[in-house]
Amino acid sequence: MSQPTLVLAASVYETSAEFLDRAFGGSAPEPAVVWLSGERKSTVRQLLGHNYPALRVRYWCQNRRSAWVLDKIGKELPITVGVIVERDYIRSLKVLTYRENRGGEVATPAFTDQFDGVALQANGELDARIDGISGATLSVQALTRLASMALFLHNDTDCKDGS
Amino acid sequence: MRRLHRSLGAATAVFIIFMVLSGLAINHSNGLGLDQRHVSQTRVLDWYGLGGPENIRSFALGNDWLSFAGSQLYLNDKSVSGLSNGVGAVSSHGMLIAAGSEELLLLNHDGVLIERLPWGPPGAGPIESIGLLADGIVVVKSTGQLWLADADLLNWQRAEDSNVSSTWAFSEPAPGVLHDAITRQYRGDGLSLERVLLDLHSGRIFGPIGILVYDLLALAVGFLAVSGLIFWLRSRRNGKLNR
Repeated sequence: MSQPTLVLAASVYETSAEFLDRAFGGSAPEPAVVWLSGERKSTVRQLLGHNYPALRVRYWCQNRRSAWVLDKIGKELPITVGVIVERDYIRSLKVLTYRENRGGEVATPAFTDQFDGVALQANGELDARIDGISGATLSVQALTRLASMALFLHNDTDCKDGS
Repeated sequence: MRRLHRSLGAATAVFIIFMVLSGLAINHSNGLGLDQRHVSQTRVLDWYGLGGPENIRSFALGNDWLSFAGSQLYLNDKSVSGLSNGVGAVSSHGMLIAAGSEELLLLNHDGVLIERLPWGPPGAGPIESIGLLADGIVVVKSTGQLWLADADLLNWQRAEDSNVSSTWAFSEPAPGVLHDAITRQYRGDGLSLERVLLDLHSGRIFGPIGILVYDLLALAVGFLAVSGLIFWLRSRRNGKLNR
């Protein structure tokens, strides 16, 4: 695992540009947006436990693979997570920026690798159990919920069908 | 001792009731929303030494004003989001766009965040100013270069002609009423009701003397508990002897 860069007390593990390069082998497609309104907004609220703090979410899609950069507050500050979804499962989930004082263990591959290959069930839950980390319950919950959100949005866009 | 117990009991009664009520409120602070509510009373803010922003830079966007105060962004008199190093604001395609040196915020006219856009096209430096072309296209100046956004602000392209005709956002003095409302909000944003309650509960709001007084009152309460227990044991023993 590479050493994070410290920027204003935030640990930056990967920039968005580096994340997109990794997701699409250096040739990221043009971004698209999905608007959170109506039923989609309601489902996202159920998955997160609250409204997503923006009305639209940017994503990148190519060959049934999509990349999402999402934020969710762990305890007090937002955690930025990059999720790569392929077909209907998570190919990779990585913490891009971690800002909380504690609970940074969720950024380790030992934790995030648990999401590899995980899909979303019809009831909105992940189809695999994600083991928690003591002392980082809220951060674990934030990552798990963002994983669900990315899977739902991927399935809700044309990207799933390769458009 | 019994007289002292009575006097101290009467003297600390108000303190005990206050500690009980404030303790309950602190325990349920999140549920009561005390951490989200902010103090606006000028005297309390003065007591905490919370001043107004160094300056407020406002931008008129049709009927609305977007203002930067410190690292806070206001739509009219409503605080909408944090944004550091505010540069300027424009309105385009039904969106309000506020630019900081490192990011842009897209808002609707209700102040709801549409998207937070980190600024960072390859080779671009910090944002220096933001403006509009005649057709409503958003243009940004960064280290002497111009960058043009597409209609949805999804992509940025460097302008080949650095002399494109654009109208740059410039700050204007906000109406006095709005200026005062933002100043009040700015000061209040820094102080939650929960913080004041915690400081009242601990005595810290009155400084070192407050803590000392609270310590003495806490000792008095301890004395009341011990003396009360002694009286109870004595009366119990006397009762047994009388039987």
